[in-house]
Amino acid sequence: MTSLRFLVVDDEERFRGNLVKLLTAKGMQAEGAADAEQAFAALRREARDVILLDVRMPGMDGVAALPGLKALAPEADVIVLTGHASVDDAAELLARGASEYLVKPCTVDEILDTVAVVRDRRGAGRL
Amino acid sequence: MPDGGGLLGPSGPLAARSPVWPLLLGLAALAAATAGPWPGLILALAAGFVLWWASRRSAGALRRAREESCELSEQLIQSQKMAALGELAAGIAHEINNPLGIITQEAELLGLALEPVEAAQRDGSPLAAAFLAELRDGIGEIMRQVNRCSDITHKMLNFARKVAPVCQPSDVNRLVEDMVALVEREATKQDTRIVRMYGELPRVTTDPPLLRQVVLNLLNNAMQALERGGMIFVTTRAAEDGQIAIEVRDTGPGIPAAHLDKIFNPFFTTKAPGMGTGLGLAISQRIVVGLGGTLTAQSLPDAGAAFVIRLPATCGGEGERRHGAADQGTGH
Repeated sequence: MTSLRFLVVDDEERFRGNLVKLLTAKGMQAEGAADAEQAFAALRREARDVILLDVRMPGMDGVAALPGLKALAPEADVIVLTGHASVDDAAELLARGASEYLVKPCTVDEILDTVAVVRDRRGAGRL
Repeated sequence: MPDGGGLLGPSGPLAARSPVWPLLLGLAALAAATAGPWPGLILALAAGFVLWWASRRSAGALRRAREESCELSEQLIQSQKMAALGELAAGIAHEINNPLGIITQEAELLGLALEPVEAAQRDGSPLAAAFLAELRDGIGEIMRQVNRCSDITHKMLNFARKVAPVCQPSDVNRLVEDMVALVEREATKQDTRIVRMYGELPRVTTDPPLLRQVVLNLLNNAMQALERGGMIFVTTRAAEDGQIAIEVRDTGPGIPAAHLDKIFNPFFTTKAPGMGTGLGLAISQRIVVGLGGTLTAQSLPDAGAAFVIRLPATCGGEGERRHGAADQGTGH
């Protein structure tokens, strides 16, 4: 199983920390970013394969941050994780370049399955 | 028989609807002119009776129409409430799903922590202590997140509950002072000074427990806006038309212009996750409107934020008072 590089963008510290822990436990490399600015800085520093993005964050929200993230990491898959189950939001996020959309709560295995499907879909190599 | 006309004079707009009375009036006049006063009088009396009966019926119809109109506005309010509830439900889904996400992660981490311990216990290795520490931390966090969910749902239920004011003559300065005294100890701890500027107020009729809730909420918001230091000015004054105004102003960072029209929306919050549900101001505004008043926010750059409650001399207008009294009677 390939070890992918994840960036977890979520303002909720415990959620972000837990997800980094769980991804690491699954053999992935993971780092957290508390907001869009931190995410931009992390992407300038190091390339990532997958960006897990929260929608509702203080400052720039996930929807607004998406184009910037895609510009800095065009090869990365952005998977949106949010508590909001609105179809309109999902369509908007996909239109702005997100690869997939998951509604919280979801397990780390569901996230990894989604990553596998998304990467498989565009032939980026299986997990 | 000239008096016949006076007797028959229609006295209400609905009486005019009756097609019978002009005919009877005409007949009475004709009878008086041609057949002498008696048939005219009889006809006039008959016409009077018909009119009396018609106006009684009309008054009933008017009352029913008024009741129907009340029912309609009640239905309109109800439908607006339902729309607000729908908005709430969406907000709740969002707010609850986030903590549930963390609860899920904690359970997953506990499961992962359990794996090596189970293996170690099979080998007789003393890894149980590390496992127990992780378990205790995880369980603690699960409990904190569950409490967060119940906090949100309780506030939501509080919002959805129909609050009918029970109004009574109230000393608003005293009521405000009670709440200021309540938060002052906490304010002192964070080096915040509360400045009282109470004016002379006319006695107003309002619902003291509901108004206390709103004042306390505004004071707590001001304290949170200041974090440390700063001042809170609590002003009461008589306003135009017998109204009174209560103002809570802080010297905090103020409210960004883009947020000013959103701060009363349910679930709108600028607080850190888990620190506020965004329902406080929505509930406060709803209470003040229920009392017949308004709650507005003002913010100037570098001049902090001010919230102004304006209340009428009499709580909620005629209908609201009756409503309140009725609810009081049923022990609501």
